[in-house]
Amino acid sequence: MSTPLISVKDLTLSFRTDEGLVKAVDHVSFDIAPGEVMGLVGESGSGKSVTAKSLMLLNPDNAVYDPKSSITLNVDDQSIDVFSLKKPKEQMVIRGGAISMIFQEPMASFAPAISIGDQMVEQLMIHSTMTQSRAKEISIEMLTRVGIPDPAQRFSQYAFEFSGGMRQRAMVAMALSTKPKLLIADEPTTALDVTIQAQVIDLMKDLVKEFHMAILFITHDLGVIAQTADQVAVMYLGKLIEKGSVRQVLRNPQHPYTRGLLDALPRLDDLDTPLKPVAGDIPSPLDRPPGCVFHTRCPVSLGSECETIIPEFITNKDGQQVACLLAEKDAQKEEAEA
Amino acid sequence: MTNTTTNGDVNVDQKRKEAYFTAGQGQLIWARFKKQTAAMVGAGILIVLILAGIFAPFLTPYDPTIDGRNKDYVYGAPNVPKFCDDNGCSFRPFVYTFNRTRSIATNFRWVTEVDKDARRYLTFLPEGDKYKFLGMNFTTHLFGVDTGKIHLFGTDSTGKDIFSRTFHAINTSLAVGTIGVFIAFVLALIIGGISGYYGGWIDSALQMMTDTVRTIPAIPLFMALAAFMPDTWSSETRFLFISMILGFVGWPTLARRVRTHLLTERNQEYVLAAQLCGASAGHVIRRHLLPSFTSYIIVDLIISFPYMVLSETALSFIGLGLKDPVNSLGVMLQNVTDPDVLLNYQWHFIPVLFFITLVLAFVFVGDGLRDAADPYADTKK
Amino acid sequence: MQFFRFAITRAFLAMITLIMVSLIVFSLMELVPGDCAERYLAFKSSQGGAITIADIDAERVRLGLDRPYLVRWGSWIFNAFQGEFGNSCILRVNIAQLLGDKFWISLWICLASLFVAYLIAIPVGIISATSKSPWANNSLRFVSYLGLALPNFLLALMIMLFSTVYFGDTLTGLFSKEFRDAAWSYERVMDFLSRAWLPVFILAWSATAFAIQTVRALMSDEVGKLYVTAAAARGVSGRRLLWRYPARHSLGPIINSLGFDLNRIFNELPIVALILTLTEAGSLLIEALALSNDQQLAGAIIFMLTASIVAINFVTDIILALTDPRVRRSILG
Repeated sequence: MSTPLISVKDLTLSFRTDEGLVKAVDHVSFDIAPGEVMGLVGESGSGKSVTAKSLMLLNPDNAVYDPKSSITLNVDDQSIDVFSLKKPKEQMVIRGGAISMIFQEPMASFAPAISIGDQMVEQLMIHSTMTQSRAKEISIEMLTRVGIPDPAQRFSQYAFEFSGGMRQRAMVAMALSTKPKLLIADEPTTALDVTIQAQVIDLMKDLVKEFHMAILFITHDLGVIAQTADQVAVMYLGKLIEKGSVRQVLRNPQHPYTRGLLDALPRLDDLDTPLKPVAGDIPSPLDRPPGCVFHTRCPVSLGSECETIIPEFITNKDGQQVACLLAEKDAQKEEAEA
Repeated sequence: MTNTTTNGDVNVDQKRKEAYFTAGQGQLIWARFKKQTAAMVGAGILIVLILAGIFAPFLTPYDPTIDGRNKDYVYGAPNVPKFCDDNGCSFRPFVYTFNRTRSIATNFRWVTEVDKDARRYLTFLPEGDKYKFLGMNFTTHLFGVDTGKIHLFGTDSTGKDIFSRTFHAINTSLAVGTIGVFIAFVLALIIGGISGYYGGWIDSALQMMTDTVRTIPAIPLFMALAAFMPDTWSSETRFLFISMILGFVGWPTLARRVRTHLLTERNQEYVLAAQLCGASAGHVIRRHLLPSFTSYIIVDLIISFPYMVLSETALSFIGLGLKDPVNSLGVMLQNVTDPDVLLNYQWHFIPVLFFITLVLAFVFVGDGLRDAADPYADTKK
Repeated sequence: MQFFRFAITRAFLAMITLIMVSLIVFSLMELVPGDCAERYLAFKSSQGGAITIADIDAERVRLGLDRPYLVRWGSWIFNAFQGEFGNSCILRVNIAQLLGDKFWISLWICLASLFVAYLIAIPVGIISATSKSPWANNSLRFVSYLGLALPNFLLALMIMLFSTVYFGDTLTGLFSKEFRDAAWSYERVMDFLSRAWLPVFILAWSATAFAIQTVRALMSDEVGKLYVTAAAARGVSGRRLLWRYPARHSLGPIINSLGFDLNRIFNELPIVALILTLTEAGSLLIEALALSNDQQLAGAIIFMLTASIVAINFVTDIILALTDPRVRRSILG
């Protein structure tokens, strides 16, 4: 196994609020290999964005990281402990340098009164020693690369003058101009309509191939994951409950929650069947269920066991990892039978 | 993570959560308001001052007008009640006697001497000057002194007790402010309401008018309007007129707020949803639009209060506002610019402290309410 | 080209506002019981001299007071735009001459206060909004509240008290005696500056408190927005992150509010002027209204004050159109 690009171990994070310390991410561990597209899937409130922001230390000041958490970035033959980066200069490598981020709301993520070009050039000049004219050249190249027509003119325009899809592309262009090794895409297609979605996804796939870039693709849309990702990790209420390659997880989900998510998808071949949502509501983070976080909604809960024991990850023969007591029991049965 | 909770805790938690989710708007605002110490302190002080103003005739020993003055103690320094002095202590607080003498030795200027041996004891609930409260006549005051008069804040140029005047002044200023705010509010609701509800050219026309009035500096405008009052008007009429002017010049800001609220809220989807459910216009206004900005309007009203009080004070200070016998803080400040007073009779400034406290209390409460009423306000600080 | 059109439209609207203001002001002047002719002749008669109704009528015709309302208003506003306000009724002196320098001095003092206020408020407001230390937050809050609660005239009073008690001297007046009516010279300017700091300071007091609150609120809002996080995610940090992003975007509303701020300062000017016995338009206003009931003078002053505010509003509109690309683009299409 080659060294992963980024290695997250035991990431635990809580927020200081008026109601007390609220745990948002609970012992999350995953690795992303260079050039790999990892999908991070979960409902709203599952902690996916918070996890991603931790990679860039972008969480607000009331975030409290557990000291045992570690995030290691392996880039340029260096192993960087992300939590040890304190000064802004040091943090530049994870912010716009080796890691870039694109957001769900492209309109909101561009400064309204500064031209797109200015913002792109600014980023390039912060991260390198190139001249302004060179930065402008590269920026216009990137704009062309993402498929924006008439890039020279668009360079001096403002965010409000772009259409929705174009803004998203411009954001991708800006994020990629520093040639990062990891792109974090926080629900990049959620705000777009389906045709634009398809275009942006195709664009991202092309860029991955061209730049040999890894992507952490955060979404709640399993369909998008199926198209773009190599690996997928499923989160629920701050915990990672299933990990594996996309094919495996989608074809053979091990965790009841993943199964529920897949069952909830509308079926194209039978438009009349009623939808089957996952029963219940995600509990409030102030009120985390003891034991397995999913047990309150689990259709196959084992009762008191699931209420008290926190499941650990087990790896099955296909390399899939799942944190579920039932899956554990099944796996043990299989082994015993084999 | 794995400890189980006992039934009792679960119930308490459950009840608390239910209370939170079913609380009415007022209760929610109150709960948030309570958490802000500055605002609570302000509210407490405000209530104290308001009550002091309302019950001023009872709380203060003398009539604040010319009738209650102390001819023998003009420009007198404050009498501070003591419990102990060189002659021993007593349970009852007392003050000294002052003798005013004039003679060749003092160049025929009035000089007051303190006679430390002649004590005058404070009395509680004595009979004193007559006053009217809620239409009935009373003569009991909270405290007084057995002989002569007691002046906790000193007296002014004609011997009027500053302590009594201060509390009555608070009452007057608050009353003027209330009427002014009320008038401004009614005008703002009507004009802003029509403007915001109908939109279109009515809105544009009304907006031009509102903006024009808003552009004219208020105090010079007040002054111009106030200068119209003939001297022949009684003090009560002056009082009403001043309050009305304050209201008439103060409505543009409020009207603008009302209009903005209405314009945005009118197009919100929840209004559309209500209409689609078949709600009548009245129902939509009552149950949906009004509650959405009631809290903002209340906050605006409270915040505009100190400006009304300040404006009235400013006007009276120049002499264009209220006049004796109706006294407000502004009227009391009229004498203060005299350098003689500044140098020698600094106790005239004591009402200023009350005034500042009153305004600060309003500001804190208004701010606190604004933070509490805004459902999107961050609680981080 | 279209920007020019925009400017012209704004100028036109400003004119309309001024005309409406003049209507209000002129009507107020007219509402005073007894017109100019009566009052002047009443004044004359109190000095001994018999006045008959015929005299009053003749005077009226002479002053042009018998013309219909609209005509009089029209001619007033026509002259007003040229800076001519006719003669003061009571003083029988040309108002423009009477106002003379005084109006411009007032205006400069007020503008200076506004400038000082924002000079202090912008850095302080920004620090207050972004600083993490609760001590800084609370002390700034307290200071701004103090500025709001202690109105300027009270502050002026207290400064007077202080200076009288401790210095035995009153810091009053805009000019020392020698320079009061002298022609402008370098010495006069210096003298003026050495005394003008006090009214500027007092007027700036509550303007600063207000401005701090405004800046702070705007910055707090902007700092929470996504584009700031996005910029941080790109590696922008430190002062650059602060000034180029939230600060720059808070500028718009601040520029917008300048006209209104000036309005507030104008409100405080007359009384502060009275306390400090300044000799400029503010105190003249008070004399005109409170003491002599000279409506012409008062009307002229109010009109000039409002005209200044309308002018500032016009200028800030143009500036905003130039600096905010959203506004600029929406004008140019």
